[in-house]
Amino acid sequence: MIEFVLLAFGLFIMLFGALGLVRFPDVYTRLHATSKCDTGGAMSILLALAVSVNAPLLIRLKFVLLAFLIALINPMLSHAIARGAYKRGIKPKVVVDMYGGGNP
Amino acid sequence: MGRVHFYLKERIEDVKRRVLYESYEAMKLPPWERVAITWVVLFTFWLLVAGWGDAVHLLIAAAVTLLIAVIMRDMLTEDIRGRGHLLVKSLHIFLFVVPQYLFIMAFRLIESNLRVVRNVILLDITPGIVKIEADLYSDTGLTILANSITLTPGTLTLDVEKKLGKAYLYVHWINVETLDGERAGRIIKGDLEEWLKKIFW
Repeated sequence: MIEFVLLAFGLFIMLFGALGLVRFPDVYTRLHATSKCDTGGAMSILLALAVSVNAPLLIRLKFVLLAFLIALINPMLSHAIARGAYKRGIKPKVVVDMYGGGNP
Repeated sequence: MGRVHFYLKERIEDVKRRVLYESYEAMKLPPWERVAITWVVLFTFWLLVAGWGDAVHLLIAAAVTLLIAVIMRDMLTEDIRGRGHLLVKSLHIFLFVVPQYLFIMAFRLIESNLRVVRNVILLDITPGIVKIEADLYSDTGLTILANSITLTPGTLTLDVEKKLGKAYLYVHWINVETLDGERAGRIIKGDLEEWLKKIFW
């Protein structure tokens, strides 16, 4: 039962993450959608697989390890993309920008 | 405190920073504890990836990971500071601090996902980049703090800056509530920093 709940939650979150990638105005807000929704959705799908797969314990532990690695790596990648975009000169659509020094 | 000459003030600041650095250096773990922590982490990773084999397999795994741990002992444990017995400390960390952290972070992640869903549907965003001060200074602690901030609702870490013995985080906030640094820090960081300060410095 719990694997169906986790799978449905993961699919729902991934769908809205992809929708946010289209709807949000600039790079940084789109990164919000992708980083959080991909982390949560992929982790819940992997945990559902770890619960429901018909395999020995080691395979299930490998799924849990994959979920842990995704939680570790995904925020780091989004941070790298955001910083690279800022250093490249892409202006954010914001009300206050303390990183560039002052208001736009 | 009356008038102090500028060079004297600079010198006092220098000595204060030196005392802080030396006290942190004195709290470093002894070498065999660093080797033990690295060995346990590497051996667990080996077991998870390669699987349980026969005795010879396990023996080779233990020997190889021990060799790597002796060589690379400073890489993982450089930023861990603290006093006390190793077993008591690690039991306390792995039984109380880490499960609490994982539990809270799981609920924060679900909340942030649902908030992104609401933002996507309604598009009620006022984004901004604010600068907050972090109370941690070590590299590992700052990395974990920045990653946790990225996973908590409505915030995304842009950059980390270390200046004059303090560390600052630039955070992209999707609903700017305040521009004051301290209040923004309290709202964004929450309790995360208190947990991280139990392990890192």
